[in-house]
Parts: sequence; structure tokens; C-alpha cells
Amino acid sequence: MSATPDQANPVRAFVAQLWGSVFRHGLPTNDKVAARTALTNFFLHIHPVRVKKSAVRVSYTLCLGGLSFFLFILLTITGLFLMFYYIPSVDSAYQNVKDLQFVAVFGDIIRNMHRWAAHAMVITVWLHMARVFYQGAYKPPREFNWIIGTFLLLITLLLSFSGYLLPWDQLAIWAITVGTNMAKYAPIVGPYTRYLLLGGDQVAQGALIRFYVLHVIALPLIGFLLMVVHFWRVRKDGFTGGL
Amino acid sequence: MATVVEGGRDPSGAVTPRPQAPVSGPELANTPLVIRRREDEETVVTFPYLVWREFLAGLAAFVFLMLVSIQINAPLLQRANTSITPNPAKAPWYFVGLQELLERFPPIMAGVAFPSFVIIFMILTPYLDRNPSRRPQDRKVAIVLFTIYLCLAVAFVVIGEFFRGEAFNWDWTLILGHPGLSSPV
Repeated sequence: MSATPDQANPVRAFVAQLWGSVFRHGLPTNDKVAARTALTNFFLHIHPVRVKKSAVRVSYTLCLGGLSFFLFILLTITGLFLMFYYIPSVDSAYQNVKDLQFVAVFGDIIRNMHRWAAHAMVITVWLHMARVFYQGAYKPPREFNWIIGTFLLLITLLLSFSGYLLPWDQLAIWAITVGTNMAKYAPIVGPYTRYLLLGGDQVAQGALIRFYVLHVIALPLIGFLLMVVHFWRVRKDGFTGGL
Repeated sequence: MATVVEGGRDPSGAVTPRPQAPVSGPELANTPLVIRRREDEETVVTFPYLVWREFLAGLAAFVFLMLVSIQINAPLLQRANTSITPNPAKAPWYFVGLQELLERFPPIMAGVAFPSFVIIFMILTPYLDRNPSRRPQDRKVAIVLFTIYLCLAVAFVVIGEFFRGEAFNWDWTLILGHPGLSSPV
């Protein structure tokens, strides 16, 4: 009798089939398998199969673009947890944040991480822009991707700014008051812009719900869409590589 | 560096001329059809080489943020109260530079003209910079201009955040402390 192990053991055969249906290739023991894995995996397909070694040196990219994306994901996940507790009403918002900080299990760590990751993302996106400029990586054919990147920087700032109001403490309301007062100085449209943003003349309930909706739905969606195009163009144009 | 060749490439490496298809715009006609890397350029497979590095960078960032989040609490002051104005009232740190500009220039300049100018200039950067070279030694002007811009932006944020006290007036004591006291107040 010379039955193969798979025939002899139906459980093992099932596991093998299950594994094989999810991952089409074995471990990347050689370049050929590695290349096929990258080609057939949706998530890995964000990268080309091969890249110039000089283009992915840590000393060249400083990981800044990747870290910005990682922080965006981290902020999405921690933000989701915060949304379970947070109600965007001037009556309850502050107490919800207090509960997060002092009552909810790991609530303080999740909130702290959301806050510090947001500050970190402003810095990494800013540094990523500086890195791309100093390496002239915006030059043809990547002009338009630089423009998308500019808008991603603005979206990052607006995301951080809109989140700033949500704890509804003294820091939040006065930072947003000062910030939105700057909008008043634009000729003609200034006061209207401020009114539109705040849903009134003062930072009150109207402003809180507007900033909340912008923060958790509108801006992340726009940012995500811009990111998809940004990454797709990086993929199509190739990495710039060593100078 | 990539060598641009016209036409496709068959497995033997020979270049087969591609029949010229009618194209509408000049951009399309000039689009390189195949970009061939020079032999001396070393390449690696992104999986696992690059993906592994990205994983490590992400892990390091996560561990760092976790440690910071365990140690340092996010600020949470008293409940919002429109009748008590803190002094000074400051914008979030990345907009404090703008607030500092407003302190020094008329609002129409600092609040509207400068930011619009910066954003428009940033968007137009790739079209204004006609220099095709990416080597730093060939782009001294661009690098100097951008460095000046970065330094000014950082300087205004640092001044607004650390050197502006009550009523947004200049205040050394924020970082130096009061004379006669052992630690900054």
C-alpha cells in the first residue's frame, strides 16, 4: 500500500486545501516563488515585484511615507474604538472623554495613542514632503503625484484640527476659536467660511457635530481616496531611487 | 537610472520595433513604451525584502507609540466654557506659526495672502522647477529656497509655541523660568 499522506489523512488534506486556497504559494524560499506571491496577493500588489535596491534603502526613504500610512491605519483603528464611547453632543462629549480616560478598560491608552499618533502623523507627512523635495522626486513624470501629496498634507492638517475640538475641553474650544477666527480675515468669503464651518457664530453644538462628521467620515474618506491614487501612481511611475 | 528604449522586448533581449500606432497628443507619442533597467542596477524582490522592512518599521512605530501612550496622558483640561478665556489662547501647534504671522503682519497678509501663496507655490513647484536634474549639486537654488521656507515655518511655530506668553506677548520665562526660581514655571 503506497497511499500519499493526503489520501491517508482527510483532515490533513482539508487543511492543505484550505491553506492552498488562501495562499497560492509556499514560503518565499527563492525569488521566483517570492515574485509569484507578490503578483497574486492583493495586499502585496501595492508594490511592484522587483525594485531597485537603492530606492528602498532606509537611508533614502527614511520610511516616512510608509510611516504616515501606518499612522493613518493606527488612527483609524484607535478612532473606531473611541467612537464606541464618544457622543458628539456638548452635554455628553466631555464626560465621554473623561470616561475614556478614567473608566473604560484601556480607554486611556487608546485615547493617548490616538492623540500622539495624530501629532506624529502631522510630523511624518511634513517630513515626507521635505524628503521628496530634497531628492527632487516630484520631477517628471511625478508632478501630479506631488500635487496629490500637497492635498494629503492639507487633509492631514484638517483631520488633526477637526479632531482637536472633539474632547470639548478648554484647550479644544479655544484652539478652535483662535483657529477659525483666522478664517475671518479672508476678504468677502472669510466670515461666511467661518459661519459655514462652525454652523453658527460661536464654537457650540453646531460646530461640534460638523467637526465630528468631518473628522470621522468626510476627511478620512477623501484622504483615503487621495492615498489610493497617490500609491497607485507611485506604483506606476516606479520608485525614484538613488541620486 | 533607467534606459528608455522604443518598442517591446522579447525574452532573448533583442528589441523589436513596435509599429507606430496613431496617437492624438504629443504626450502620448513621447511616452516611453518600455523602461529597461541598466544591468548594473541591483534589484530586489519586494516580497519579502521590502515588506519585511516595512513590517519592522511599523512595529517599531507601534511599540514607540505604545510606550509614549502608557507614560504620557493626552491633555484634558476643564470642560469647555465660553465665558472663561485662557490667556494666552493658542491654536494647535501646527497652526501656531500662522498665529505668530498674524501677530506680525496685517491680517489680510498673514491670514490670507501668505498661506494662499505657500499652497499655490507648493502645488506649482514641479512646473516652476524646470531643472531636469535630481542631483543636489545641480539644484542649489531650489534646495536653498526650500530650506529657507522650512526654517521659517519651523521658526514661527517654535516662537508661537515656546516664546509667547500672556496675551501672546513675547515671554522668555516659558522656557527659561523666572529669575530666582529653580525650575521653569
